[in-house]
Amino acid sequence: MRAIVKNRIGVFSLQGFLDGTTAPTMLTMEDIKATQALNIDMLLVSMKKVVFFNKNGLNIFIDLLHSVQKKSGTIVGLCDYDDKKYAAIQKFYNSNLNFSLFRTHKIATLFSASMQDKGESKKSILVWHEDPSQRSALAIELFDRGQNPIVAQSQKEFDEKKTQEDLYEAVVYQTFLGLLGSKIATRVTGNAIIYSVGGFLDAEISDSFDLTYHQNSLNVGFTLFIFDAYKVVSMNIHAVNFFAKLASSGAEYGANICIVGMTFEKTPETFKNELEDAGLLFFTNMDDILKDKEMLKELGGSGGATAGNKRALNKVLVNELPRFISATVNTMEMMTNAKAEKQDASVGELSLQSTKDKLASSIGFYGQLDGMVILVFPLEIAKKSCELLLGEKTDNIEEILDTLAEFVNIIAGRVKALLAEQSISVDITLPRTYENVDDLLATVEKRKGVQVNLNFEGEGFTFFLTR
Amino acid sequence: MITQEEIHEYINSIPPSPKILKEVLSHLNTGELSKAAHSAAEDPALKLYLQNIVNKPIYSFKNDVKDINQIFGILGLTQAKQIIYNYMISLLTPKKWELFDLNDKSFSEIQDNLSVQWKKVLEHKNIRDNDIFTSISLLPASIIVCEALFKSKQDNVNLLRASNDLDYNTILQRLSGMDLYDLCYEIAKAWELPDITSAIVLASKGDKENVNEEIQTLSKWMHLLFFYQLSQPIATSAGLNDFIEFNIEYVQDIYEEFQNLIMEES
Repeated sequence: MRAIVKNRIGVFSLQGFLDGTTAPTMLTMEDIKATQALNIDMLLVSMKKVVFFNKNGLNIFIDLLHSVQKKSGTIVGLCDYDDKKYAAIQKFYNSNLNFSLFRTHKIATLFSASMQDKGESKKSILVWHEDPSQRSALAIELFDRGQNPIVAQSQKEFDEKKTQEDLYEAVVYQTFLGLLGSKIATRVTGNAIIYSVGGFLDAEISDSFDLTYHQNSLNVGFTLFIFDAYKVVSMNIHAVNFFAKLASSGAEYGANICIVGMTFEKTPETFKNELEDAGLLFFTNMDDILKDKEMLKELGGSGGATAGNKRALNKVLVNELPRFISATVNTMEMMTNAKAEKQDASVGELSLQSTKDKLASSIGFYGQLDGMVILVFPLEIAKKSCELLLGEKTDNIEEILDTLAEFVNIIAGRVKALLAEQSISVDITLPRTYENVDDLLATVEKRKGVQVNLNFEGEGFTFFLTR
Repeated sequence: MITQEEIHEYINSIPPSPKILKEVLSHLNTGELSKAAHSAAEDPALKLYLQNIVNKPIYSFKNDVKDINQIFGILGLTQAKQIIYNYMISLLTPKKWELFDLNDKSFSEIQDNLSVQWKKVLEHKNIRDNDIFTSISLLPASIIVCEALFKSKQDNVNLLRASNDLDYNTILQRLSGMDLYDLCYEIAKAWELPDITSAIVLASKGDKENVNEEIQTLSKWMHLLFFYQLSQPIATSAGLNDFIEFNIEYVQDIYEEFQNLIMEES
């Protein structure tokens, strides 16, 4: 069985009856390995469509998940269950529960090592667990991921608060944190990426920091990286070297790396000077950056141009252009069952007649070939393209943007496969979407690329390939 | 990816039911077992199929039987009819399975398991209607249709399914407005199967509310039985566990009864 991987969370969605006889063929070690190769932070088995399960069946999955957890530190567990299934799982494992439980997939995403932060518009998260230590653990982990947890102190208080579910971003209950991943928690707020670090920082930071994710983010155009270091007690020279290297490798992209909330009571001041010399910036509070528009613009967190990334198109990339176009056109046709036609192509900066009523998405790729694909959709075409994935028409921009991210991900997956046929190996970054196309134009300002205008049922949409 | 034209092309490609099978069924409908056996003997492939079937352990017949008259006699009217329908459906199977890891033997095993368990369900419900009895035979046609429509689109489907919880049936329905159950219905129409046969299969997708109570109840049993089979190793290793969506809410009220009847005994 193949796992569905979205936002670095792999989910196996099994159906039907799960026991000691059926489980071994439903999920195999090969399935798990194939999913792990997709660079995931979390691996879950969804119980949503499982009508029957017993401990023998579940144990087979849990053993497989544990082996993943041990080898890679990936968060593993079960998700999407109702009250009855939760009670059964509790009964089976009682005090030996050593994997995570997330009542819904949405709750699981809140505990992923990398997540999209909704910024100031987000609501609080209501948290409840019978066990006070789990309650605290849930709240701490949520807080570390930039959320605002509100912890109910009794079942009665929880029941009362839960009646007003609309007031909360999510209600976290019947959720248990087993072994969490060792990766540094990452969240994206607008155009800034925030990494949460704590405790004593030493050589281990190189292992727990996801360098691939960081590199992907640079490739896709992020230039502001903030280390939330309020909980850092101290650091040694190995951690200093790590930060210094990160700053120098980001310089090519014009990246700014900031450390926020770090006190130097137990850390030599000379370390701070060294890091400042390497280009790192220190701030006392997160709001000194995120709420200061001028500062945010200066640091590149408002979606502005990436001064350091003006690499020219190269011949290899241009040679592969037909494959990119073909992947885009085929995907459009697959998703809509309608014909898409190429209109014209030109080399230059991205040029749009209007940015009104348009949405955009982008995805980077790197490896033997690197660059970025950008698609600009008229709103109506974006909606139509999303119908297959959503199963219905929608005017909800957030839903459309989420689905456009999927869409560009599918295109990139197809490009990856087409390039692999030519023995060109590439990896793809997480997709990025733009509700405001002006933000996209600012991001790719002065970058040259190939622009292809395509026609889809009488309306035009734009494909842009750049580096 | 899959257009209305392709669907119509597929429907038009469904072959008419062979003359001999029509004759066999016609005799079975009038209760003439020996005439049915006589007609069946004219088709060597059907004869061989029946010989293989009755000697499978799942049918629990004690003696090794070869004679076609004896086979019909052992099976009786109802079961003979159901096995003839299973044979008809098997005529639609591809020479080589590409989308699912199946072969004639494993597909036939899925058909047999469904048939035997459906019989158990109907006996439990005290239902003796032959047409209801044979309705289960149409259900595995959904697997054959899925294979036929998607085998050349595997790359596209894999890309779509890599990050979205979409089964083949949903993809087909969203793209063409028709799903695998609707196409089973088209097969039933082309082969002039009884209305109730296709009605139960159509209702077993789990979204029909305007059907009579009996059909709805039977469709729930059929839906759950199908997913019981799709959870078994032979189906999961063929990649069938998630080819179609299991509607867990639809079967909630019969689940315990199903568990007592089917799972306790197996």
